[in-house]
Amino acid sequence: MKLAWQEMKRNRARFAILGSIVFLISLLAFIVAGLANGLSRDNAALIADMPEGQFYMSGEADGTYSFSAIDPSLQSEVLQSRDGSMALSIRLGFLNDADGKQLGVAYVASVSEEENAKAKMLPTVHPGEVWLDGTLAEKGVAIGDMLTGDASSDKAFRVAGFVDGQKFSHAPAAFVNPDDYAEMTGRAEMQLLFVPGSPGETPAGLEAFTKGELLGSIPSYKAEQLTLNMIIVFLIAIGGLLFGIFFYMMNVQKMGLYGILKAIGVRTGALFRMMWTQMAVVAGIAMLGAAALSALFAAVAPGEMPFRLSGSSMAWLAVLFLVVGFAGSSVSGIQIKKVSPLAAIQQGEM
Amino acid sequence: MATFELRQVAKSFPDGEAEIRVLKGIDLTLAEGQLTALVGSSGSGKSTLLTIAAGLQEASGGEILLDGEDMTKMPPEKLRSIRATRFGFVFQSSHLVPFLTAEDQLALMLDVSGSRLDAAGRAKQVAEALGLVGMEHRRKAYPASLSGGEKQRIAIARAIIHRPRILFADEPTASLDSERSHEILGLLRKLTQAFGMSTLMVTHDGEMLPYADRVVEMRDGRIEGHTWRTANGIGT
Repeated sequence: MKLAWQEMKRNRARFAILGSIVFLISLLAFIVAGLANGLSRDNAALIADMPEGQFYMSGEADGTYSFSAIDPSLQSEVLQSRDGSMALSIRLGFLNDADGKQLGVAYVASVSEEENAKAKMLPTVHPGEVWLDGTLAEKGVAIGDMLTGDASSDKAFRVAGFVDGQKFSHAPAAFVNPDDYAEMTGRAEMQLLFVPGSPGETPAGLEAFTKGELLGSIPSYKAEQLTLNMIIVFLIAIGGLLFGIFFYMMNVQKMGLYGILKAIGVRTGALFRMMWTQMAVVAGIAMLGAAALSALFAAVAPGEMPFRLSGSSMAWLAVLFLVVGFAGSSVSGIQIKKVSPLAAIQQGEM
Repeated sequence: MATFELRQVAKSFPDGEAEIRVLKGIDLTLAEGQLTALVGSSGSGKSTLLTIAAGLQEASGGEILLDGEDMTKMPPEKLRSIRATRFGFVFQSSHLVPFLTAEDQLALMLDVSGSRLDAAGRAKQVAEALGLVGMEHRRKAYPASLSGGEKQRIAIARAIIHRPRILFADEPTASLDSERSHEILGLLRKLTQAFGMSTLMVTHDGEMLPYADRVVEMRDGRIEGHTWRTANGIGT
């Protein structure tokens, strides 16, 4: 370890260049991860924030929640028999404010036998009222305002309150009473059933979905997340490749030195530890710098930018970078194992 | 008392269907406190003999006995351990670690040899070794700022700091001018006697032979003759 540090101290510029590249790549990975997470929440916080459990749609909906219609008697049976369960419907639309300005929203209506249990997840709404996602308050909507429904209905709603972080398909949620929802849409059946906890037996005629599967059925969610996650995976792979190439180049230059060190009795394992220590120090400093700058970015990013990066996400990415860097440098270190002390001695001055 | 003995050491390399025999049954015993010079024309096998004796390549036959233990039968890890603790090496090029100062080069060798000295003890031993080669004033210097002669002095200090039993020197003056060569050989001889080491040195330079206690002449993979330098003069 001392030898590793001594080399880094002597060749600061060389390691600083590697560190700065790793810093930039990891910073980019952190920011893309923050955006992926932010967009995910922007797209589906309504579903993502619900507790773990099982979602059900009608079988004939073929995995598309907007086509689903739960039979009312089956709905009633499930809600009565499964603790904490609820039925909900979601439809994209808009509300008009007093000035006639349209506000894109996702209408959400929910029904539960246990209103108290449901209230922990979604607000309880009285007829004629609407609860809105907090982002609409930032756009000037206030409690007590009267909003009218979209073109399919002239129904008016009084804004009763706001809730934080409830969005669906990038639109702020607008929670309405189930009767109002039925009146607006002309459909009495709810689209989804939610049962918290571990999955039980799937009621006849329904199809079960995990939270992840339901999120995947939201238009654009899967494509958006796949694209961003692919960028993150590529950045991590590039980071690993970078370590591999850098240490390969370094090792090629140091073959003579390694051979001499082996000749005088240095263990091959000690040379590997030297390389790993350098990798860990460079990666560690680069990650800390990137994490600090990402946190700063999160603090100053404009509100319209859906950026959300948790400490655990950064820790996971950092661990991934370290693992990939370790693998990359280890592969390049195979040369160390192969180097012959005799060849190094005959090679001349290093 | 003999500490290091080569018995019928042979080395051959395949050359297509044929076989090239580089060493053809070498018998050689090194004595404590003596500097033995291996001389011979290019291709005589002297460098091969030195590297085999030092455990850096395998012999094709024969025995290499270190305190009665046959090195040719030792596993690689034990050979490494012997190189780290009981052997010292001075190479044709100094082969110093480019990113270590003179004193760090020596401290590294103490680490490699498994020295159990505390920090103060190590610093003292490093200072003593640098003093022995007249380089204490350059202890903070990196190899890039040292002359060829200075580098070779540091290489010698690195080779002896852990008090090896056997010192192997492969053409240690090949890259030095005549004056520096005499300095280095004088130093090697002095240290060999002072520490009671057995030193085996390969050289091309006839001018350096007076520093050897014994000159072993090789030709075509065999020892042609021994010349001893005694208190009474030269003997064969």
